[in-house]
Order: sequence, then structure tokens, then C-alpha cells
Amino acid sequence: MLRLAYRNLFQNKTRLAISVGGAALALMLILSLDAVMAGVERQVTAYIDYSGADIFVAQDGVRNMHMASSSLAASVASQVKAVPGVASVTPILYLTNVVDLGEARNLAYVIGLPPRPVVGGPWRVVAGKSAPSVGEAVIDHGIAEKSGVGLGDEVKILGEEFTVVGLSEGTATLVNSVAFISKQDFAEVRGDSRTVSFLLVKVKPGESPEAVAARIEAWLNKVTAQTRQEFAAQERKVINDMSTDVITIMNLVGFLIGLAVMALTVYTATLARRAEYGVLKALGARNGHLYRAVLAQALISVLLGFGLGLAFTLLLSAAVPRLGLNLALKVSGESLLKVGGVSLVIAGLSAVLPVRQIAGLDPAMVFRR
Amino acid sequence: MPLARRNLFKDKTRLALSVGGVALAVMLILLLNGLLSGMYAQISAYLEHAPGTLVVAQDGVTNLLGATSLLPPGTLGDVKAKGASRVVPLLSQFAILDLHGKKQPVYLVGYERARGGGPWQLAAGREPRRDTEVAFDRVLAERHGLTLGDKVEIMDRDFTIVGLSEGTTSWMTSFIFIRKTAAENLMRAPGATSFLLVTPSDRLTAAQLRERLSHLSNVEVLFKREMIANDLKLFARLLSAPLQLMVGIAFLVGTLIVGLVIYTATVERQREYGVLRAIGARNAMLYQVVATQAVIASGAGSALGVGLALGSAELIMKLRPQFLIVIEPAMITRALIVGLAMALLAALFPARIIAGLAPAEVFRK
Repeated sequence: MLRLAYRNLFQNKTRLAISVGGAALALMLILSLDAVMAGVERQVTAYIDYSGADIFVAQDGVRNMHMASSSLAASVASQVKAVPGVASVTPILYLTNVVDLGEARNLAYVIGLPPRPVVGGPWRVVAGKSAPSVGEAVIDHGIAEKSGVGLGDEVKILGEEFTVVGLSEGTATLVNSVAFISKQDFAEVRGDSRTVSFLLVKVKPGESPEAVAARIEAWLNKVTAQTRQEFAAQERKVINDMSTDVITIMNLVGFLIGLAVMALTVYTATLARRAEYGVLKALGARNGHLYRAVLAQALISVLLGFGLGLAFTLLLSAAVPRLGLNLALKVSGESLLKVGGVSLVIAGLSAVLPVRQIAGLDPAMVFRR
Repeated sequence: MPLARRNLFKDKTRLALSVGGVALAVMLILLLNGLLSGMYAQISAYLEHAPGTLVVAQDGVTNLLGATSLLPPGTLGDVKAKGASRVVPLLSQFAILDLHGKKQPVYLVGYERARGGGPWQLAAGREPRRDTEVAFDRVLAERHGLTLGDKVEIMDRDFTIVGLSEGTTSWMTSFIFIRKTAAENLMRAPGATSFLLVTPSDRLTAAQLRERLSHLSNVEVLFKREMIANDLKLFARLLSAPLQLMVGIAFLVGTLIVGLVIYTATVERQREYGVLRAIGARNAMLYQVVATQAVIASGAGSALGVGLALGSAELIMKLRPQFLIVIEPAMITRALIVGLAMALLAALFPARIIAGLAPAEVFRK
């Protein structure tokens, strides 16, 4: 039956191309969207992942950075430092603002760093220095390059002029970048030196970050202390929860498109071979055998479409970073499993109509003409 | 025409599948564009309803929803002195709420009730009068089973819901309102202001006041409509690319479906077309037959797709009120044109088959 399905399928190359192409497009839609989301998740936690901190301490109730703000009294830093197991505390200031590069304006997480920060600074600097002093800034090199800005040039951050003294790498996403200035400048612009946004904590060797984080919350009032991993997981959850509805819609769109194409192509392929199926029935082939042949056709087409869709998505993942877009696509195993499952459902459903057609086929019909 | 119709209607299931396929594609195109258009309306809702014609922000900040703005102290007095009749100060920014284990971003607007800038329509309750009160978005509240009198945790404070606002929802982020002093406490920023919504006095036009305000240092002065456009541009950058990609795929698939149906119908009738050619029918006439089939299938599909899109939009908005789907007449016209384009493209391939048909072939077997 598999051979019959194979021959039926490959006999009409145009129809095969349409069915495989249609399924590939639909499945690519789901795969590439998943890949974009996985890439965004990875990018959005880049600062946290590479900060070097073991624990993030924030205002009570604040569990992430993206679209959030945190304010802690500056004195909390010394209280955290006194907690057993804490090796160092780096206070930073943070908000989402604009880096004005003359012609272009770029949204950025602006980080205010203390002098000689232990952690929390740019993790890869391609030119210049990594710790900005007063009046200085470190910005993403890709963003700077696009606007023709280099070391020694002036940019506006938080409405003030800064000299670019460092260019960092891996600090830009599709939407924004990370810019570093000194904590002193940040506090002056904000007109408030009594608060900080987050405390980045390093624990002593041999100490567990989980235990120290719990200790910080127990010792101090009104703070949220999370390990780097927990903090990054909360950040990813924001992106995930925000995009769940959209992803569901897009997945449904992909599913419906794939189903429409497959249903039509498998149906027309069966219709075209109606007489032959009649002959097979007249020769004693059971309905079950013929159903399997139809299902096998649908399965082969969908699997070919899946392979093609995956190849397109991988190509897209390789091409996008080369196009200068700050977007990294990542095809995850979870997404492959999901799309594989969707493919099977599409194949199964698209075989329903042709199967009904075969079931109603009269073997005698073939002898009538 | 009768030939095209008969060819097409001979197999009803195939016709139904092709009409359904086009309808699905047109429906998707309309729904996706409607979703984008609805999202734009939701994003700009606050500024559209807020008082004033000008917005004063921190230097470099040109949108409401993109960046945190902090104005230099004393800006409110300076703006008034330049000829504003009404100045509404806001302290606003995003916050992430944890509602039933889900992260829910909201845009927190701190405003002064006496000056304005709060919710423009309340479905129930009243505006916040204390620093522990909040006017919550009605749809968001309903989604999470919250009602008047319930407590909700915003950052490190508990707030009581005293009002439910209408028209402030969005599937990405809803607007919620607290007193400005409450926002200052939350952000540990006493006296801070993010934006000023400015109405010029009778003696000045908005453009004249803008010109005067542009001389203030460390501020950005924009018309409200400019700020709305900047917000839309920011979100469009994020969302329009994937949505447009899906619209493109839907178009391609619709074309493939009509193409496949017409192609199969043409191949099945290849001999008959050969006979027609042998008895003197011109290619143009046969092309017309093929094109007519495609136009009928896609016309019916497009009309059905428009109906389905309108129905599904209603259903989606009923089931998921955070989504606003705005299907405008211009979009429908565009979708019908797209349907026609699908038909014409789909007819190309079968037309090539007919063109290559040898009239003598029909006599061979």
C-alpha cells in the first residue's frame, strides 16, 4: 500500500509540489515564529545572563527588568553586604530610555554603573573601555556603526551629552540595546542619589546562591532577592505570557492553512484515481487497505512539507543575522515536537474526506463505462 | 461562460474545497489586518482621549510607551509661564503585575484628579481618591475575576480597585490609573513627572506654543498626534513584519488552492479542450473559460471569506475581549481585489496547458 501511495503521489509532480509547498509554508509559519520567540527570549535575558551576578535584589514585588522599574534605598546595599555569604554588592541604576545618536534614536536599557563595578558592566567590549566614568558612555557597537558613531563621538542619553568611550557586543536586540553610563551621571540626571534600582550580588565561594538569596529576603524587609537563573526565568515568563495569545493565533493560522492545502490536494489526488481504487475494490482490496494508502499519501506529503519547512526556517535563521537585523532565531526541540504533532494531525484530518469517498465507492462502477 | 460554470460545478466537493480555501485565505488576511488595525487603535487610545494638544517629555523621548521619561524639576511652571492654559502632569511607566501566576504588563498612569489625565470612561465605580486606590481596566479585571473592592498588588504596595475603566484595554498591555502621589511613592521619586499634557491658551496656537516651549532646556515638545505616530511606529516595527508575512503566506496558499482546483479541472477536461481547439475555438476563448472558472471560485471564496472574517472577528472579541479587530471597508475592498489577483494568478498555469495542447491529440486515442 505504501508503494501505491508513493506512486499515486509522485505521478503528478505539480500537485505534489503544491501540496508539499503549501504544507511547508504553513509549518514554516509556526516554526519560524517559535524560533523568533525563542531567540527573543534568549536576547531579552542577555544582560542578566552575562551580568556576572549570582543574585539580583530588587524592590519588593519586582521580579524582572523588562517593562519594570525597581527602587531601593541606597542604604540597602550595605545591609545586603552584611548578610552572611555575600562577597560583593554592586548597586546599579536602570531604566528604559533613548540613546540619541544624532540622526537615529535607539531605545535602550540604560544602566548606571558605580566606579570599578565588580559585576553588571558590558561583558564583551570590542573597542575602548568597559567602565564609563563621569560624562562617558559605553554603547552597542552595531547601533553605533549604523549611525556612523565611534569612540570619542558624542551621544545623548537621558537627555544629556556623553562621550562614547567603549563599544560593546551582544548588547542589542530587535527592539532595544543596552547602554552603560556612570551611576553618578544617572543619579544627577534623575535628581535623586538616595535610591538605586537593583543590587547585583556575588556570593562567597562555596555558598549556594539560593540559600544566600533566601537569607537576604529573611534579613531585610521589603526586598525581592532571586538567583540569576530565577531572575532570568521570570524575565522569560514576561515575554512568554505576553505573547501566548499571539502565538496561539499564529499557530492556528498555520494549522488551518496547512489543513486546507493538504485536504484539497489529497482529495483531488484520490478523486483522480477513483477508477483505479474501484478496480482495486473490485479485485478484492479491503477498504482498510485503501484507507491506509490515502493516509500514507497525506503523511508522506506532510512529512516532506515538514522537512522543507524546517529547511526554510534553518535557512532563515542563518540569513537573518547577516541582514543586519538584531534578531536571533532559535529552532528548539520543543518547537520541532509541536510542529511534528501538528503535521500528524493535519495528515490525519486531510485524509478524512478522501477516505469517505473511497468508502462510498461502488466496485461495479469501474465496469460501467 | 456556461462551459466554465459546468466545468466548475461538475464536482461539487472540489468546488466547495476551493471556495472554502479561498475564503479561509481571505478571512485570514482580513482578520490579521483587522487585528493590526485594532492594536493600533488600542495603543493610541490613551493619548487620543487625554486632554491637551501638545506633549512635553524628557529630551530625547519621543513616544509614550517606549521609554521612561523624567522631566527636569520645575518644568510644569516653565510651561505654564510660556502661555499654556492647562497643564496636566503625569508620572507613568510600565509595571508587571502577577495575576493568577501570569505576568501581565500594564501601563501605570499616575495623575492628579483635579487636573485630568485619568480614565475617560468608567464602567463602574469612581476615580481613585487615595494613594491606596486604583482604577483598573475593566476587561483585564474581568479576565482575572477582579471587581470593585478587590485588592491588587502593584510592585510592593496593595491597591484597592475603586473604579473599572472602559476603552483602556489592549492584549499587550492595559492602562491602569492611580493618583500621581501614589505613583511617586511606588517609584520612590517624590515630585517626579514623566510627561505634561499641554493645552495652549486662547491667545496662542498649538504651533506657536510649541515653538516657545522648544526653547526650554532638556525637554522634547511634540504634538499629541506625533507622539501617537511614534508609538505606532515602535509597535509596528515589532509586530507588522510577522503579521505581513502571514498575510503573504495566506495569499500564496489561496492562490495555490484555486490554482490546484482549476489545474485539475483543466487536466481532466484536456481532451474536451482539444476537441474545442480542433473544431476551431481560439486560444483566447479557452483562456477565458479557464479564467472565468478561477474568477467564479475566488469571487465566491472572497465573498464568503469577508462574511467569515466579520463573524469570526465578533466571536473572537466576545471570547477574548482584550483583542480589538477593526475591519474597515477599505480593507474589504482590498481583500476582494486580492481575491481577484489570486484568481488571475491561479489561471496562469492551466492556461499554459491549454496553450500547449495539440488539436490533433484528441484524435489519437
